[in-house]
Amino acid sequence: MKKLSILAALLAVGVAAALSFGSSHREAPRIAKDPTADNTDVWAFTAPDAPGSLTVVSNWIPLADPAGGPTFYPLDENARYYVKIDNTGDGYEDVAYRWDFDTRFRNPNSFLYAAPQVTSVDDPDVNLVQTYDLFKETYDKSRRLVSTKRIANDAPVVPDNVGPKTIPNYSQVEAGGVTPLRGGGKTIVAPAEDAFFADLGTIFDGINIDKPGRPNIGLGNQGGGKDDLAGYNTKSFVLQVPESEVTRDGKQVADMKAGNAVVGVWSTTERKRMSVLSDARGKSKRSRAENWVQVSRLGNPLINEVVIPIGMKDKFNATSPANDAKNFGRFALNPEPARILNALFGLGIQETNRTDIVQALLTGVPKLTQIGKNPAAADTLKINLGVPPAANPNRFGVLAGDVAGFPNGRRLTDDVVDIELRVIAGALLSPPKNIPLGDGVDRNDKPFRSQFPYVSLANDGFNSQLKRTEPQHAPVPQPPPMQLP
Amino acid sequence: MTAKRPSLPLKLLAPLAAFACTLAVVVALGGSNDVEMPDRTAGVELNIPPDATSDQRIENFQHAVRDGIGGADGYASLGDAYLQKARESGDPAYYSRADRSFDAALRRDARNFDAVLGAGTLAGLRHDFGEQLRRGLEAHRLMPQLIAAYPVIADAQIELGRYGAAERSLQRLLDLKPNLTSYARVSYYRELHGDLDGAIEAMRLAVSAGAGVPENVAYVQTLLGDLQLQRGRTAAARDAYTAALARMPTYAPAAAGLARVQIARGELDGAARRLRGVTQRLPLTSYLILLVETDTARGDEAAATVDLEVVRSQQRLLRSAGARPDAELVLFEANHGDPGAAVRVGRRLWAEAPSVRSADALGWALTRAGRPDEGLAWARRALRLGSKDALFHLHAGLTAKSVGHRAFAVRSLRTALAGGATLTPLQTRDARAALEALR
Repeated sequence: MKKLSILAALLAVGVAAALSFGSSHREAPRIAKDPTADNTDVWAFTAPDAPGSLTVVSNWIPLADPAGGPTFYPLDENARYYVKIDNTGDGYEDVAYRWDFDTRFRNPNSFLYAAPQVTSVDDPDVNLVQTYDLFKETYDKSRRLVSTKRIANDAPVVPDNVGPKTIPNYSQVEAGGVTPLRGGGKTIVAPAEDAFFADLGTIFDGINIDKPGRPNIGLGNQGGGKDDLAGYNTKSFVLQVPESEVTRDGKQVADMKAGNAVVGVWSTTERKRMSVLSDARGKSKRSRAENWVQVSRLGNPLINEVVIPIGMKDKFNATSPANDAKNFGRFALNPEPARILNALFGLGIQETNRTDIVQALLTGVPKLTQIGKNPAAADTLKINLGVPPAANPNRFGVLAGDVAGFPNGRRLTDDVVDIELRVIAGALLSPPKNIPLGDGVDRNDKPFRSQFPYVSLANDGFNSQLKRTEPQHAPVPQPPPMQLP
Repeated sequence: MTAKRPSLPLKLLAPLAAFACTLAVVVALGGSNDVEMPDRTAGVELNIPPDATSDQRIENFQHAVRDGIGGADGYASLGDAYLQKARESGDPAYYSRADRSFDAALRRDARNFDAVLGAGTLAGLRHDFGEQLRRGLEAHRLMPQLIAAYPVIADAQIELGRYGAAERSLQRLLDLKPNLTSYARVSYYRELHGDLDGAIEAMRLAVSAGAGVPENVAYVQTLLGDLQLQRGRTAAARDAYTAALARMPTYAPAAAGLARVQIARGELDGAARRLRGVTQRLPLTSYLILLVETDTARGDEAAATVDLEVVRSQQRLLRSAGARPDAELVLFEANHGDPGAAVRVGRRLWAEAPSVRSADALGWALTRAGRPDEGLAWARRALRLGSKDALFHLHAGLTAKSVGHRAFAVRSLRTALAGGATLTPLQTRDARAALEALR
């Protein structure tokens, strides 16, 4: 009797399953998310404690739950992680920093990430160990690779912040990951609290449409927003190098008017191209085997989201900033968000011929972030290294007359969501159209640090708490229009 | 970030969703570059926790479509969430739900990229490869710059035996976006062509590239284990399966893989215990057959008889339910049922899916039905790509032996035994006995 009922149960499930799950063919997943290749943000700034150096923060692997065991979030050891720099204004990299990773398990029979207690970055109680070499590549005018120098080798990736029992003093462990570079400067690859701050839920519910239980946040300029990134970690690659390592003439920058002052910064991820049939069988396909394919890139915040239409996103991620004008210029000139805002709210925003947006983000602001006389319209984050850091940074950056902030580079505290919304609304037009839009989140949930690596310490898995709400405050008006010094 | 969804005409956007989309895109979760798409479901997508389980995603999209927010995109995303849930649970009820979701999406917008692609993927899962290819090509025409259609197209081409076309599709995919999806498919293509080391190389890249969904990674880790097993590396195979189970503790294919490792090491009792556990959770025919043959090899005929009856009943029900022919069904019928019927089903299978796998199944059915001369021609067809598949070679070897092609038989049987860690204990015994008889 018992046997029969088991048989019946097996039949019921099994037939249904077999109906659909024949094992005789393969069906690999179609993936929507590719976190190890996903570079989400780039910041570039002159740190107050490191004048004369360019500091770049580039994040990969978004939305890492601090409690994400057992393997946490290793980087892809078969990918290439790049921060690239254009110092001639053609949109091609002249200098490129490449992190190459290695992964190993100290104890392959254990799948525990780490065991108590981890007291240093190279502690043997860390089981899954990643290390990297950092290479500096330089290119000549005809885009040929002329040199590759290894400027750090076998440097440790800071282990994930499992929790206080396993890693009682995480900042001490993190500090061990700071690696000096040949040629000057330093780098670190470490988990960190995601430095991007932004709200979705409150905008979705709050702007224009109140939802019970949630305060109205008006135009998004009076707080009340929820930082949806709060509590999540990411992998931050922080690089700090002397200006002379990245400028077009190999010299330090004298002042903001100097010819070598502006560089464009962006990050990319590359993976190995392979031929479908491997070389042993394929016919004369060797040339392909060593190639790398760019699968993701990022310069200015939100370009891919706001400007690039859906059908073009793969193309955007695969192409070089040098070709942005040809490939995507029309989308920047006639940004879709302006049309949508007008259609819904009748704001009268200029929808076409938005040269102000092209200039701010792609060609550079003359006398501030424009590289040379006739630069390519390229999505790179341009920074004038001759502008000294602001004593009191304003989160609206250049919009508020603080020329040491976005879109002159991007500091961790710059509120790029509010800035870009206001720019789309017309803050940079002449005459400017001032609509103080925002997302109701003004700052990161955790304070940034005043010293390298600047980003906030990674959240730990044990005490993980997600999201944070901005306190309500009086509406912040549109700051006075930009004035260049 | 893979681009996923097409936009809709502005005038169709509901004000709430549209405004959310405008702003949602600039406040993307997970860094400024992590938003999925500026479309009607952007708000819904962004309200879902990034590490949400498939159940949570299903629930969110169900609410969205119920509230009328999602539109065609919402239904397409719901369908995709059901397909992922089906992968994780092995419960085919989710196929019907996915089907209804894609239908609902296509009723709202017949040119919805994700819905067309989802319907194509589902057709493939139901072995309707012609429909899968048609839908894949249709999606490609809708969004020619997006790579998402290539995997669907290539999968269909492989099952339809159009290997040259499949190679071109896969190469295009790989040239544009190497990631878990593309590496895993290249690995399979190489495996079909007998290049196991190349297949392992590609699958390692798939594992290291990773994905946002644990099941996707467990899937490629398990396939890496299967490849290692084919190479006879049981320790490496065990490591791969164990890694998959660390990522997803209930993943049946990895547990079945561990049982295969035990079989290869002669630990039949342990293998049977493990397989019993696997089949109680997910009674797939292939696991049940492996269990039957393991029990037979251990001398537990009683257990084998019961499980064999389960499979037979499964297959009867499948036939009466009008299931599409399938290589596994043909082989089961040939080995444990009516070889004549197996030949008839095998011919239908070949007509619908002329792949090397179908050729192998039809050939073996012919041999079992007492027509090894015909069977041999099909066996050669199965091996035409150079596959090192142990089962293909076992069938070819036994067929060649019965028609007196001694050299071919010896060569094939040796190849089968070299990859023997993937055979069942009975198949290994048959191969050894046949080789012995040929001495």
